[in-house]
Amino acid sequence: MQINKDFTIQKVGGSYVAVPVGKTSQHFHGMVRLNETGAFLWKLMAEKDVTEEALVDALLAEYDVSREIAAADVHRIVEQLRENGIFIEA
Amino acid sequence: MFVIKLAGIRIRIENRFPFIERQCRGYLCEGEDAEFSVSVSPDEILEEQKFGEFSDGYCESICIYRHICEILPSYNIFLMHSSVIEVDGYAYAFTAKSGVGKSTHTALWLKNVPNARVLNGDKPLYRVEDDGSLTVFGTPWNGKENWGENISAPLAAVCFIERGAENSIRRADEEDAVSRLMHQLYLRGSRESVTKQLTLMDALVRGVPYFVLACNISDEAALLAWNTMRKS
Repeated sequence: MQINKDFTIQKVGGSYVAVPVGKTSQHFHGMVRLNETGAFLWKLMAEKDVTEEALVDALLAEYDVSREIAAADVHRIVEQLRENGIFIEA
Repeated sequence: MFVIKLAGIRIRIENRFPFIERQCRGYLCEGEDAEFSVSVSPDEILEEQKFGEFSDGYCESICIYRHICEILPSYNIFLMHSSVIEVDGYAYAFTAKSGVGKSTHTALWLKNVPNARVLNGDKPLYRVEDDGSLTVFGTPWNGKENWGENISAPLAAVCFIERGAENSIRRADEEDAVSRLMHQLYLRGSRESVTKQLTLMDALVRGVPYFVLACNISDEAALLAWNTMRKS
């Protein structure tokens, strides 16, 4: 999956906020709040079309967690973003 | 055409209707040089009139201020919909959902807090300084009560107002403050502009303490807020 490029993500206070820019801001109102892990995954998905497996691998390379926990985190965050409708559907 | 100074920035207004020039009386400056110019098209004014029966001049003014507020983030200045009261050299900002009672609470401060005066009742500008502190500036856009002055003051605290049967006030943590601020800030525009606005919002979140006030309409509500938020 790949994130709609019409978003910008910034650290605001202790967490990250992603908000729509340009044309997307006319139909997507609001924001997406993300923690450190969420922002890390967001940036990968903004760069290119990636699979959940690739995201789990990237998370394991960056953080000292078990594959099980990483997979659960990735799945939860991806589902959250999907519900928010911020992916480009293939 | 005339030039005003807002939050220290000289802005040239190219208006079609006289309304805005009267409105900006207290902010006019000499000369024609300016950091940037703003004008709106007749189409934009027509678009604005879809929201109600307002005069051409009034709609032009709303559109011009919107344009100004899209440009100002590049000068570290942004608009936050709020009522700001100045007391003894410090600014106290109140925000709330529309209709909750910012104006009512502001009036209670004027009545109960010595030396309180309204800096701007609706649409003040906030500037992030190099040291991370914030300064609030009055603007000619100050709400239907027309409360405000061409003054500025360092921001001491921000308070989110809610209605309550009893009066109570608490500190808001950072996460709570971000969620509530997102509803009051105008985050629209190009990628560059929105990204910049988010960095200014980060400074706002880090810069001052946040409070949540649940209040009724009483003198005690204002005194509770003032005694809790006041900068010693």
